Amino acid sequence: MGFIKDKTVFKSMGFCGVGDGANIANVDVKDGKVVRIRPVHYDEYYTKDELNYWTIEARGSKFEPGMKSLLPPLSLTYKNRIYSKNRVPYPLKRVDWDPKGERNPQNRGKSKYERISWDEAIDLVADEIKRVQDTYGPTGILSQGGGHAETKNATGTHGCQTAMFNTLGTGCVVQARNADSWEGWYWGGKLIWGNDPVGEQIQLTNVLKDVAENSDAVFHWGCDLETTPWGWGGQLSSRTAYWFTEIGIKQIFVRPDLNYSAAIHADKWIPVLPNTDAAMQLAIAYTWITEDLYDKEYIETHTVGFDRFEDYVLGKEDGIPKTPKWAEEKCGVPSYTIKALARYWANNNVSIGHGNGGGYIRSVFSHEPARLEITLLAMQAVGKPGRNQFKFLEKALFYDPTVNPYPRSEVIPSTFGCFKGALLDEEMLGKNFVPQTLIPNAIAGESFDWYGHTMCTFGVSDQFKQFDYPNHDEHGIHMIWSTGPCWQTCWNGGFRFQDVIRKESVECYVVQHQWMENDTSFADLILPVTTKVEEYDLNNDIESGQFNMMYLEEPAIEPYCDARSDFDIVSGVAKSLERFGGIYAGLYNKVTEGLSTEELLKRGYEMSGIPLDKMSWDQFKEKKIWMSPTVEGWQDEPAGLIGFYNDPDKRPLSTPTGKIEIASTLIEQFFPDDEERGVIPRWVEESPLHHERITSDRAEKYPYLLMSNHPRWRVHAQHDDCIWLREIGTCKVEGPDGYKYEPIWINPKDAAKHGLKNGDVAELFNERGRVLGGIIVTERIMPGALYQDHGARVDTIVPGTGGLDRGGANNMIAPAATTSKNCAGEVTNSFLAGIRKVDVGELAEKYPEEFGRAYDPDCGLVASARIA
Amino acid sequence: MKAFLIDVDRCNGCHNCQIVCKDEHCGNDWSPYAKTQPDSGQFWCKVEEKVRGTVPLTRISYIPHIGAQTEAIREFAPEVLMNRDDGLIVIDPEKAKGRIDIANMFEGVFWNEELGVPQGCTGCAHLLDNGWDVPRCVDACPTEALRMVDTDKDANELASATKIDSKSNVYYLNYPKRFVGATVVDFDADEVVIGADVSLLDASGSVVASAKTDVFGDFIFKQVEAAPYMVKIAAAGYADKSLEADATNEDVNLGDIAFSKNA
Repeated sequence: MGFIKDKTVFKSMGFCGVGDGANIANVDVKDGKVVRIRPVHYDEYYTKDELNYWTIEARGSKFEPGMKSLLPPLSLTYKNRIYSKNRVPYPLKRVDWDPKGERNPQNRGKSKYERISWDEAIDLVADEIKRVQDTYGPTGILSQGGGHAETKNATGTHGCQTAMFNTLGTGCVVQARNADSWEGWYWGGKLIWGNDPVGEQIQLTNVLKDVAENSDAVFHWGCDLETTPWGWGGQLSSRTAYWFTEIGIKQIFVRPDLNYSAAIHADKWIPVLPNTDAAMQLAIAYTWITEDLYDKEYIETHTVGFDRFEDYVLGKEDGIPKTPKWAEEKCGVPSYTIKALARYWANNNVSIGHGNGGGYIRSVFSHEPARLEITLLAMQAVGKPGRNQFKFLEKALFYDPTVNPYPRSEVIPSTFGCFKGALLDEEMLGKNFVPQTLIPNAIAGESFDWYGHTMCTFGVSDQFKQFDYPNHDEHGIHMIWSTGPCWQTCWNGGFRFQDVIRKESVECYVVQHQWMENDTSFADLILPVTTKVEEYDLNNDIESGQFNMMYLEEPAIEPYCDARSDFDIVSGVAKSLERFGGIYAGLYNKVTEGLSTEELLKRGYEMSGIPLDKMSWDQFKEKKIWMSPTVEGWQDEPAGLIGFYNDPDKRPLSTPTGKIEIASTLIEQFFPDDEERGVIPRWVEESPLHHERITSDRAEKYPYLLMSNHPRWRVHAQHDDCIWLREIGTCKVEGPDGYKYEPIWINPKDAAKHGLKNGDVAELFNERGRVLGGIIVTERIMPGALYQDHGARVDTIVPGTGGLDRGGANNMIAPAATTSKNCAGEVTNSFLAGIRKVDVGELAEKYPEEFGRAYDPDCGLVASARIA
Repeated sequence: MKAFLIDVDRCNGCHNCQIVCKDEHCGNDWSPYAKTQPDSGQFWCKVEEKVRGTVPLTRISYIPHIGAQTEAIREFAPEVLMNRDDGLIVIDPEKAKGRIDIANMFEGVFWNEELGVPQGCTGCAHLLDNGWDVPRCVDACPTEALRMVDTDKDANELASATKIDSKSNVYYLNYPKRFVGATVVDFDADEVVIGADVSLLDASGSVVASAKTDVFGDFIFKQVEAAPYMVKIAAAGYADKSLEADATNEDVNLGDIAFSKNA
């Protein structure tokens, strides 16, 4: 000790979890600084015997979990994030926001900030809460707490201010989080085959073993197992895909872009135009029906409504047979390839792998491709050995022990006993919640209605409850308080958000965040937050697929900058509110429950589900890590949907009929006239809400479909300032002005049409606005489609609808309208855009102030640019 | 002696090796082994991305490079190296002060302007001398694509490996060569052609590889030498077809090849 480090602590280096930690890392510290972040070697703490180490054997080969954490680069580069030049250094107030005078809301996003003391900042927040509650009532305040942030428990984030209003008893308008990574499954999958609350197959026990033993192929339909699992699940998926190849399982990728998985694992890549998969799926069904290549007996015994679907496919319903030639026009896949794929699928055991995201599950009408995929799976007897649908990440989603396709651990240790964010159940959401996708409408003061709480954790029956905004006697939103916000960068229509966030009615906008990024630079008050490396917390890792575990997260370093934890900030506000007496009296103690951090963590540990006779809190504090063994007899647990396959009456699905409802009972009952999400799944060309097809009139001006995956080098909007990621060729493209632009991929054929070459700066545009990007001419994207990751930091040049963003945050120009009329999901992928080269020199002349902001090419935007 | 062995077929392109190398050395001074590396711009370990082929036969090979671990440095400037008996090349920052020539001469050795020293991979000697078994890059590799091996103990495995530079102590398995592939289609029937015989012929007309088209009408010849080829396709009832496939400079996707029935 001493030369290479002074001490080592455990940290979850996961970036999306609410109670589900991931990516356990060792953080080494020397002289009060983080010297390195590295994988944890489990064998330093446990033997393989103690862990009941698992091995899957198939076709003469073995697959093992290994004895170290398989960290992604996003975890290993985190030192850049901790010591970023973009950290908010101290509490800040917008220079022209005067709560006693002019508030200048129109200058949000433009004006700079000045330092204020913590005492002043905290009292200001409390004063504003009191004033707004007195003037407008509790629904004058909107509370936003996203999931796209560091995975923390006792230290808050994820909306610990929402929890404070709940404790106070007033409530507030709560932002409900939609199923932002798997919309189509949420709004479509659950209607056809239950599998609540996700909508993808959730009976995944031993599915990996089943695939290894019985599948001939895995189709990765939209899946990027080399990217999406990184932020909250590590890299076991990568090892899995290599093993599939090793044991002769064919891997076929269907998607518009050669994603990072297809690039290295594909036996075949079938490029399909963004969000046209439904056409291809229908043509596969057509081939099967006309060539008698599907399991009629299974359809008879396990499904309902197939006859209506068959009529539609054959053209008896609308006069249009859904032939492979018909599909080719829409999806760009040659009809002979569609037929070959259909026949291969029918003649082999095929499972479908997913990884969240993808072009067809986050776009318009995403419930249709989701339902069509399940229909196709049903036509090939899903549940039969070797025929399942599975997912490469979220192996303990919602603490469901069945969602892990790998051999499962005995215990899923919970952190909720010390969780200080807001768990958005029905009680916490209250009667004044708004779906995250509709937040701009609420801030704008519009009256609107929608179906369901939209919370990703809620079951399908929730989708038929109607809600509206505002409730009676409300006076609109006048204060917004956010933790870790990235609405503009991660949700649907960021420029519109900029319109409404600058309205006069929004009198106070408070943001708690570590970095000066995204929504933060629009706030009136910015309260700097510590990173998890600076905090004392308890966390789990239940997403690796290897072994579940729990560990103590001791602080590695002192707070960098003058930052406090989210929970410290919120409890400070609670304390300050006590000045006003009345309902506020005693609030601090109610929020903190009178517990010290140590006592809170102890409670968390003791409520975790870990058998305390095996390891008491005192022993845990000493050892700092507890790992769960693999469950005894895991090999014998039935795989996937085999129970349903064998006996659908005895092991029914959770649909009303217990079967796969190709014609949905629930849609028939609640939305019989819905033309976007009909009773049976269909190809929907357009609707009054959406004109996002290459056949739409809009396509004359905006001819490309923009594909936008979960980013490779970020977790949504996080990590965009990481120096060592930004040096990677696919992370940023340096423009002629030295600015590092977010890459846009364009096929050489399309690049030639627009005179674009590598390193050019171009803009993606539609009527919603323009975002810049750096050109990569590449064979990784099919003609007719463009590609840009989502989540680059917003760098607004012209705010609001029709505006200009330099950062390349393409959610800014995503449709504001939701998935479909009755589905309040987001559309942040596969929408129409045009592309053209821009002259950044000219733009810089036109917008000298915005282009002249302080900037560091290594880390990009810097906080000092916003401080007066 | 210690050496690196990199299996290109197991490299998933995550760049962990490149990043942890920076995590270890940027902002950290490991004197006497190595001085601080600047925050950006130096790549003691660098992952090269090769995008190969064309839509839809596009693939990527990722090739990690560790430039400084070469005996060529020992030959060129033995006086600047730390004395070690494990084979690692460690440029001693004190002895190498001012030696910009070394940085100019070798890829993977970088000139630190501020400190006036040439810098490059040390094999994390400072860690290996303090209880670590492997360097950071190897520790962080999630797929075991990157390993540290012993040239004696692992001689058998190394015998089949490739080196980019003959003096390097970095060995590669499955170092990418070229591929030639296509899809064979009967456009009249609107069907792919399954089971067609495909031969790959070199410039002298000798068959170097043969295959049958699969259920998608696809064939691919992987890991063939960079050279000009002819592809011959034959199937019962179809007219034979020959196409040029020049893989001298790049991989070849011949696309969807029209294959017609005999008249």
